[in-house]
Amino acid sequence: MTYPVPDNSRGIIALDENACTSCMLCARECPDWCIEIDSHKETVEEPGARPRTVHVLDRFAIDFGLCMWCGICIEVCPFDALFWAPTYDHAATDAQGLVHERFDLRQWLRDVPVGND
Amino acid sequence: MTWVEDVQAAKDDGAVFFDFLTAVDLGDDGFEVVCRLWDPQARTARLVTTRCDRADARVPTLTGLFAGAAWHERAVADMFGIAFDGHETAPLLLPESFEGHPLRKDFPLAAREAKQWPGAKDPGESDADLAVPRRRRAKPLGARDWSPS
Repeated sequence: MTYPVPDNSRGIIALDENACTSCMLCARECPDWCIEIDSHKETVEEPGARPRTVHVLDRFAIDFGLCMWCGICIEVCPFDALFWAPTYDHAATDAQGLVHERFDLRQWLRDVPVGND
Repeated sequence: MTWVEDVQAAKDDGAVFFDFLTAVDLGDDGFEVVCRLWDPQARTARLVTTRCDRADARVPTLTGLFAGAAWHERAVADMFGIAFDGHETAPLLLPESFEGHPLRKDFPLAAREAKQWPGAKDPGESDADLAVPRRRRAKPLGARDWSPS
């Protein structure tokens, strides 16, 4: 059974991977050190433009065993890649199960209410 | 006025409900012990505070005024190592054998020593890149430097 919660509830943090630039700001601001990001550099060459370097995300994980739901990562993200989703039922049977990798974090996007950022 | 007289005065003035008692580590300035009282008639809260030395951290007990202060004083004794004159504070939250006072600023946080700061990586880096020595690496804001001196 699930109980209705307000749209702006802090249930879980969702990640929009396409918006993330691996800038590390959230990982650096997180007071609990619970965000792990790995990325690498790639050179993009397009006709008519100079080659440019982009950062490609390899890993984005939030350890909800450490997270204290402060939301600083969401506030600090300059690219609107992180969102609160109100869904709350995320218990796990062991501590490792509380580490949500990018694919877990991405699926919470579908729960993010319109206008919630 | 003494600490107990301060709290007594607030109680006489209508702040008769003891809410909580805690402390703040002020570093070299010692500790501030804070007591919050609630006035149910006026619906206002009072914060009554006192200071004590770091070397001789002790304040008089409030259990004579509010029996419910006993648990709070035991917790503060656990966490800050502050003694309460007139109150034999048995550990409330920590095991008997625990050494140190976890809410003191100088208490080492084991979790911060065991774990690598995730923000040390720059954009475009992974854990493997941290093995490469670099002169300037981002350091965690506000965290104590745990590197051996």
